[in-house]
Amino acid sequence: MKRIFIDPAKCDGCKNCSLACMESHRQDGGRGLYTLDLTDPVNQSRNRIISDGMGGYRPIFCRHCDSPDCANTCMSGALEKNLETGLVTYDKDKCAACFMCVMNCRYGVPAVSPDRTRIIKCDFCAHLEEGPACVRACPKKAIEVREV
Amino acid sequence: MNSCTDCLSRNTCQSADKPMENYIRQLPRETAHHRVEGQSTKCGFGLQGVCCRLCANGPCRITPDAPRGICGANADTIVARNFLRAVAAGSGCYIHVVENTARQLKNTGLYKDKIRSEKALNHLAELLDVTGADKYDLCVKVADKVLSDLYRPEYEPMELVEKLAYKPRVQRWKELGIMPGGAKGEVFNNIVKTSTNLSSDPVEMLTSCLRLGISTGLYGLQLTNLLNDVVLGDPVIRSAPVGMNVIDPDYINILITGHQHSLFTSIQDRLLEEDVVEKAKAAGAKGFKLVGCTCVGQDLQLRGAHYTEIFDGHAGNNYISEAVLSCGAIDAVLSEFNCTLPGIEPVCDELKIKQICLDVVAKKANADYIPFNYETRQADGDRIIDEIIAAYKERRGNVPLNLFPEHGNKNTLTGVSEGSLKEFLGGSWKPLIDLIAAGKIKGLAGVVGCSSVAYGHDTLTAELAKELISRDILVLTAGCSSGGLENIGLMTPEAAELAGPNLKAVCKQLGIPPVLNFGPCLAIGRLEIVATEIATEMGVDLPQLPLVLSAAQWLEEQALADGAFGLALGLPLHLGVPPFITGSKLVAKVLTEDMVELTGGRVIIDNDGKSAADTLEAIIEEKRKALKI
Amino acid sequence: MERFVIIGAGAAGISAARVLRDFRPDDIITVISTDEKVHSRCMLHKLLGRERTVDGINFVGTDFFEQNDIIHIACQTVKKIDTEAKTVYYGESYSVPYDKLLIATGSGFFIPPIPHFREAPNVFGFRDLSDALKIDEAFAKGKRVFIVGSGLVGLDAASALCHRGAEVTIAEMAPRVMPLQTDDYAASVYQKVFEDHGCKFLLGIGASGAVVDGEGNITEVILSDGGHVPCDFIIMAAGVRPRIQLALDSGIAAERAIQVDDHLRTSAPDVYAAGDCTGLSGVWPDAMEQGKVAARNMAGVDEAYPKPYPFKNTSNFFGVSMLSAGRMDLTDGAEILVHKTPKEYKKAIVTNGKLTGYLSLGDISNNGLYLYLIKNGIDVSGKLDRLFRLTFADFYGINEKNGEFAYKV
Repeated sequence: MKRIFIDPAKCDGCKNCSLACMESHRQDGGRGLYTLDLTDPVNQSRNRIISDGMGGYRPIFCRHCDSPDCANTCMSGALEKNLETGLVTYDKDKCAACFMCVMNCRYGVPAVSPDRTRIIKCDFCAHLEEGPACVRACPKKAIEVREV
Repeated sequence: MNSCTDCLSRNTCQSADKPMENYIRQLPRETAHHRVEGQSTKCGFGLQGVCCRLCANGPCRITPDAPRGICGANADTIVARNFLRAVAAGSGCYIHVVENTARQLKNTGLYKDKIRSEKALNHLAELLDVTGADKYDLCVKVADKVLSDLYRPEYEPMELVEKLAYKPRVQRWKELGIMPGGAKGEVFNNIVKTSTNLSSDPVEMLTSCLRLGISTGLYGLQLTNLLNDVVLGDPVIRSAPVGMNVIDPDYINILITGHQHSLFTSIQDRLLEEDVVEKAKAAGAKGFKLVGCTCVGQDLQLRGAHYTEIFDGHAGNNYISEAVLSCGAIDAVLSEFNCTLPGIEPVCDELKIKQICLDVVAKKANADYIPFNYETRQADGDRIIDEIIAAYKERRGNVPLNLFPEHGNKNTLTGVSEGSLKEFLGGSWKPLIDLIAAGKIKGLAGVVGCSSVAYGHDTLTAELAKELISRDILVLTAGCSSGGLENIGLMTPEAAELAGPNLKAVCKQLGIPPVLNFGPCLAIGRLEIVATEIATEMGVDLPQLPLVLSAAQWLEEQALADGAFGLALGLPLHLGVPPFITGSKLVAKVLTEDMVELTGGRVIIDNDGKSAADTLEAIIEEKRKALKI
Repeated sequence: MERFVIIGAGAAGISAARVLRDFRPDDIITVISTDEKVHSRCMLHKLLGRERTVDGINFVGTDFFEQNDIIHIACQTVKKIDTEAKTVYYGESYSVPYDKLLIATGSGFFIPPIPHFREAPNVFGFRDLSDALKIDEAFAKGKRVFIVGSGLVGLDAASALCHRGAEVTIAEMAPRVMPLQTDDYAASVYQKVFEDHGCKFLLGIGASGAVVDGEGNITEVILSDGGHVPCDFIIMAAGVRPRIQLALDSGIAAERAIQVDDHLRTSAPDVYAAGDCTGLSGVWPDAMEQGKVAARNMAGVDEAYPKPYPFKNTSNFFGVSMLSAGRMDLTDGAEILVHKTPKEYKKAIVTNGKLTGYLSLGDISNNGLYLYLIKNGIDVSGKLDRLFRLTFADFYGINEKNGEFAYKV
């Protein structure tokens, strides 16, 4: 079971993780940060970097919780905790867009898609062999994948 | 035995020049090639040009949640502003170069100094419509004509534009309202435009880029060459050595970096004088040699026929300057402009290499600043020479040599200019036009501009050049791209083997390589003169020519100003990576699509050599078709 | 080897079955359900709206029982539980013995005592798969629908039928739509979006009678204000009642709901209850949780069920999403904070420095935080100036051991 560990003290708020996330999940077929549409809400990042107001940053990334509020409250079966990988997976075809998960995630992680038909949530970049794009993009190594 | 190789054999970037790549990887110190890895995580907002730090509210960055900066500027405004700022700064650089060059010519006239090409002087005088009492007076008059245009206010159109530019282009520029005012004023005015809460009009700002492009291209590029020809001598086609093999450790070697060749002339001549050579000999050397690096080395190489004694050859482009210094046999760096990398400083410190800077705009932190001053140039020159001899004495024997004599080649064709090439063709462009018309040469591609390393040192430039020549497209180069391509042998006659069958036959018949070396980036202006003359002879406008430009590995703001000139001329311009504009759909569209309607030019962005060549070839084919050839 | 029997295949029953299987890989687990297929009742409107098939509203996958080696006795209603003999009787005369039993019979729709309504064959609930299928059948014959109640269930049915071109009339006793979840403004937004899609609302009005045809089908609803609304069928969405008949018939203590202790045990030994039938909460996540807790207790884990927090819901109709948590009614000392932009509406009720109610209309992303604040009675008095902009960053803590987040308050 893997989890992205966060060291907020190392975060500089550069948002490279957010852009890497957006790039990793873009749906327009394009590749490369140069052409990523930064104004299209469809491309929103699954992680967020929030200023603590004192010069520091608080990265909010999906924890793929041991007891995930989102999957526990999902009424369509779209969100499931995979006990082998530890990941909370999301199947948008099953999702009924009821947003129970949005209401129940105490950390405010799953976001409603702009068209309100699905949610946007970390999938640990399941499509990338090398693992989550955000982690590789962090110049400060404030986030890293660790076994738990 | 303990070895420290692990900590030093960090990954370096790829280079088109494999021997150089290996040399650099094994260096016991860091170079730009080593630093690429540490800088490989790029800021996406920066890449797209949507990071704005024009005011204390910033930096503001555009995201889906925040489509406008605090002031309200959207991505289009932010991108256009950043881009115009870069173009204006780039223009400023070249205008600075032409200003100094014109002043050199003027002083040459005033002090009745050596004029190496009266032919060039007369040509220029004719072009600018200037007469003088004698050749010295003519120098002064020509220089004044140029300077007075540069110093004109921005609201007064420059006089020489119509004399220098191709008529159909001038016509179009007038229609578009982009005839430039005084070149320095344009830079000033456009910098103002891009300041906090001033212009927010992306289209107006892009139009201003074109205006800056015109003043940069006609003055900063074309005129600089023509002015230099008078003082420094006309380029002559010849074969010359390139690469690190040009460095002879028996001499006191001075690496020159920059863009303002004329600032070196007096010292260059002085270094050959007997009393100075004696000083060198007294110090244990055979004499002095200049080693070329960056564009000023390319310029010296271009005119090398006049400097065979003092100039051993061009070592390479900006991004191997750290490697060249690492050979241990360079005793001083004499610099006057970019691209003198800050990265050479620790190398110079470590290897006790004297750094002297002649122009404050390029002042290196550790360099002695000895401003070039025409009146005191002799005394200053002697002082510089003494300092260099002192450095030689202090370092030689104490600093290890790490020579690389097998690097490069001995037979690169150089000295190509609009004049020498025409002469080579028998005094007319007709033979070249005939070859193009007959399809022996499919078209011309100017592969110009810089060298960069972030995505590989000269890799894209080399791949593209090879792809183009394999398609029978004759490649003309100018700038650091030349430095890279010559070191890998593409300008040797043997490179003809890499060309497509038609171009290969032409090369073999004429004894030329398929890539012609015009020298420094300034000589992009020469390429454009070639294009204009061919267009004139064919009776067509520039956008109709089967001619494309590529600044595949553009590096700096100057390249963007050059590029803007290319667009103003109506030429297709390929870039390997976007100039930080993709964050604005509008700016990207204007540059890559709408520009065709405005000037005939357009930007093509592609970081793959093969597919870029496909695109450029298709454009050439299209233009051939339109010309019915 | 123990024998576990679960009555009901809704949220509580299925989540219990899954947890039981995790704990007891080799024991016998049997699920008995009235409906043929497992389905999420929260997605019935997707079925009715023809957006999904029956399998498409299955929330565990169609091979759930095979995968987990669970016996599924479908389409059978349990008649009686013999708590002495530990046997469940179902269908005509079948029985199954148990060592531990879970009752998860859920709740059923309620028909108020309006003349003809309880008898008419064209009055349907909208709770179970069978209800949805019956409505679908009725809709094939007539498109005029009268819905009693504008709560979530009523609006679910209305939105599904609007998609299919029905003429929908909704009667609501309260003066606004979704009275439990909304305030006047949020209600007006929803009312408008439904009206834009062709629904008619009768607010502050109830049904008081009916005109029936020869077969007893209601053809017109008579309203409390005397008006008449012709219709082809009626959907009752005026509330639900826990299904307790089985418990009552089996001698298991129940009043309005089946009585359970804090371990979800009923009055009968080894008989547990979870989900809506316990009356503890009526929302899906709580039913899921109760199923899990009951299952763990049945498997021998001693686990108390924490008091649920039932006052929460989300809705998403015609692209307008809303979240409501806590109580929107005002008590003494309560303070109302409102944030309103053309795209968003947020309202918070703060009582004695604590958030007690929260309503959000528009983009409800990140709003899970507010439910947590309400449920846990977290003091927000120092954060009122930016109450609507709070994120987890305001309570940021990390569990160093496993890397999870933890609230710092």
